[in-house]
Amino acid sequence: MAFNVLIVDDSAVMRAMIVRTLKLSGLPIAAIHEAAHGEDGLRMLNDEWVDLLLLDVNMPVMNGEEMLQRIRADERTRDLAVIIVSTEGSETRLAHLQELGAAIVHKPFPPETLRDTILRVTGVTDVDYYGPVAASSDSLDF
Amino acid sequence: MSTTTDQLLRRATVSTFESLAFLFAEDECTGEQLAAPWGGSVSVEFHGPMRGRVVLRVTESLMPAIAANMLGDDESHLVPLQRDAIGEMTNVVCGNLLPLLAGTEAVFRLDAPHWRARTTASEDSRAGDAPLSSVVLGMDDGRVEVQLYVFSGHDALLHPNSALSVA
Repeated sequence: MAFNVLIVDDSAVMRAMIVRTLKLSGLPIAAIHEAAHGEDGLRMLNDEWVDLLLLDVNMPVMNGEEMLQRIRADERTRDLAVIIVSTEGSETRLAHLQELGAAIVHKPFPPETLRDTILRVTGVTDVDYYGPVAASSDSLDF
Repeated sequence: MSTTTDQLLRRATVSTFESLAFLFAEDECTGEQLAAPWGGSVSVEFHGPMRGRVVLRVTESLMPAIAANMLGDDESHLVPLQRDAIGEMTNVVCGNLLPLLAGTEAVFRLDAPHWRARTTASEDSRAGDAPLSSVVLGMDDGRVEVQLYVFSGHDALLHPNSALSVA
């Protein structure tokens, strides 16, 4: 199975960094979609099949917390695998996001942390089956 | 308190630049770093138990280096991406600083980064506005200045869960 991934972050540079980590992760990827805020992200979820969502919290128009609440309220997307990638440091808000079924990766993140979280959330355990990771984990640090 | 706040601001900035852009801070700026012209600044406002903003100012020479190290490809010469990279750096500094200042239970909302070209510290200050904390760091062939402004909610700095209370 190859994964369709949606990245929602208002920073084009951060989206590019996440795309780079995804490509190094060994995860089989069919397509990567990008959106700059939650409203745009919901529109894409409506139009495209998505298996994994990587979501920032602080964004204009619609933040990640509201987008995640809407995803969980919609029976078509309520089981979608979601990873929050954010600077969010409030334990109160992080606990709420985890209650909504999201895994958390804190910025700044080493690429192996994002990679390991992606593999755990997607349930992919044998990346060698799909192809070896293209870079050693200590060659990069985001 | 301001000395400790400076230390926390410095810690959040150094960690962000090292992790995201592979740039390492020097304790004192060299003559070359001090002579480098400013390229611009990014401001991120925060709202919560405290209200204020973090301003990150970088020299022109650092802008392509930051973008190149974050993106790792040839797009670093594109000015919009350079600005976006510095905006994300400011966002991360702010997001990592606030729990240190107000404790990890406090919930903040951050506005989108706001870019201004070639500003000085005085141009970035609003009327009657003085930074609570300010740090200058030498990096590569340029320098970074980061300032914390707190407009209201100074009591949040004394929260028992704050690193300032522990210090």
